[in-house]
Amino acid sequence: MYNNAIAVEIIEVSKRYGYLQALKSVSLEIEEGEFLAFSGHNGAGKTTLLKIIATHISPSSGTVKIFGDDAFKNSAEIRRRIGLVTHESFLYDELSVKENLLFYAKLFSVKEEEDFLDTIEFLGLKRWYNVPVKQLSHGLRKRADIVRALIHNPDLILLDEPFAGLDTNTCDILVNYFKSRKGKGKTLLISSHSLEWSKKICDKRISLDKGKIVGEISF
Amino acid sequence: MKNIWDFQRAALGIAEKDLRAELRRSYEVLSILTFSVGSILICSFAWSGGSVGSKPEVASAALWIILFFASILAFTTSFTREADRGTLGGLKTLPCSPLAILYGKIIYGTALLFFVECVLIPFSIIFLNLELSGRFPALLLVCFLGAMGLSFAGSFVSGLVMFSEGKTLLLSFLLIPVCMPVLIPSVVATEEIIGGSGITEVVPELRLLISFLLLITAVMILTFEFVLEE
Repeated sequence: MYNNAIAVEIIEVSKRYGYLQALKSVSLEIEEGEFLAFSGHNGAGKTTLLKIIATHISPSSGTVKIFGDDAFKNSAEIRRRIGLVTHESFLYDELSVKENLLFYAKLFSVKEEEDFLDTIEFLGLKRWYNVPVKQLSHGLRKRADIVRALIHNPDLILLDEPFAGLDTNTCDILVNYFKSRKGKGKTLLISSHSLEWSKKICDKRISLDKGKIVGEISF
Repeated sequence: MKNIWDFQRAALGIAEKDLRAELRRSYEVLSILTFSVGSILICSFAWSGGSVGSKPEVASAALWIILFFASILAFTTSFTREADRGTLGGLKTLPCSPLAILYGKIIYGTALLFFVECVLIPFSIIFLNLELSGRFPALLLVCFLGAMGLSFAGSFVSGLVMFSEGKTLLLSFLLIPVCMPVLIPSVVATEEIIGGSGITEVVPELRLLISFLLLITAVMILTFEFVLEE
């Protein structure tokens, strides 16, 4: 099913915030092309794990390899291959959707606006392209954030609670979009409480509890 | 070479984004300008009946007190706004080093403060009756280097406090000692120039300013990577 190359390799990763042990010796291998969901209660360590994979935070111990490279030795280059969406929007309220996207495109060396206009159209954002982000609803903002995360055509897509607070129509659009990415060499990791929507995209679910992996189920 | 080019592009891109957002907001820049111009007017009322230009130490002190407090207003939001709104995460997704993000903020801060100076200095010349003759470019150079120094210090301290409680208060307290190596030579050089000295007479003060810039750059290179981590 997959091409057996390892996209993400997590080796005995732990993360401590003061007295709180967010992750405890987590080890995991994710193959290229795999679509995987993380599930678990609040505080299970899902967001921490995604942030470590995205190189936003460094682990207290352990090693993370992204496409064979140590994620924290060459993190700037690694981030060229990663797209991250979290529950917080990374868009600037004062700027329009277009201005936000062009800012990120420029820094990711995306040369042509045409490269991401298709995604804008697919996610139904064309009408709001020149509108300041602060005027967008939560659902539209999430869609714009997803375009922002995918603007550089990343090989590894990380989504933290992408369906939170969205209506059914928007969730359907997002599911259809991510399903269209399957089989195109992309690896996708979702952290979500909503198994209903994750099931529609992912092949497998990994459960976390108190910072440890406690189960793995195929959908 | 490619790394230097990527660094420069990232820093300039971030600065451009901040300046564009600042122009859209406008109320912050207007607040800083209102504070600065208002302060000069109040100083001119307080010293009316005599030319402050004949007391260069007074004019220099007034100018740099106003600029320092304007920088507090400007840098209170530099990194803290990004952290509060969550957009800091977006900057951390970029394929650049944390230093590039910091330098983008420094470029933005320098441009903002220099813009404030370009409004403040003519107002000071008019309302404080300063006689500069041909020394205006020298004053501009000192003010530009001083703005750069305040921006280096302000952006760095803003990054240090962005995850703290009471960050506004902490920023103000920390800026005072960190900015002293900028303020002292800037005040002295400005006083000398207003008093009639040329650029050659203030070379020791300019050397001090440049030394500070180099020193704080070294500190930032060694530490800023750890500052961005929550």
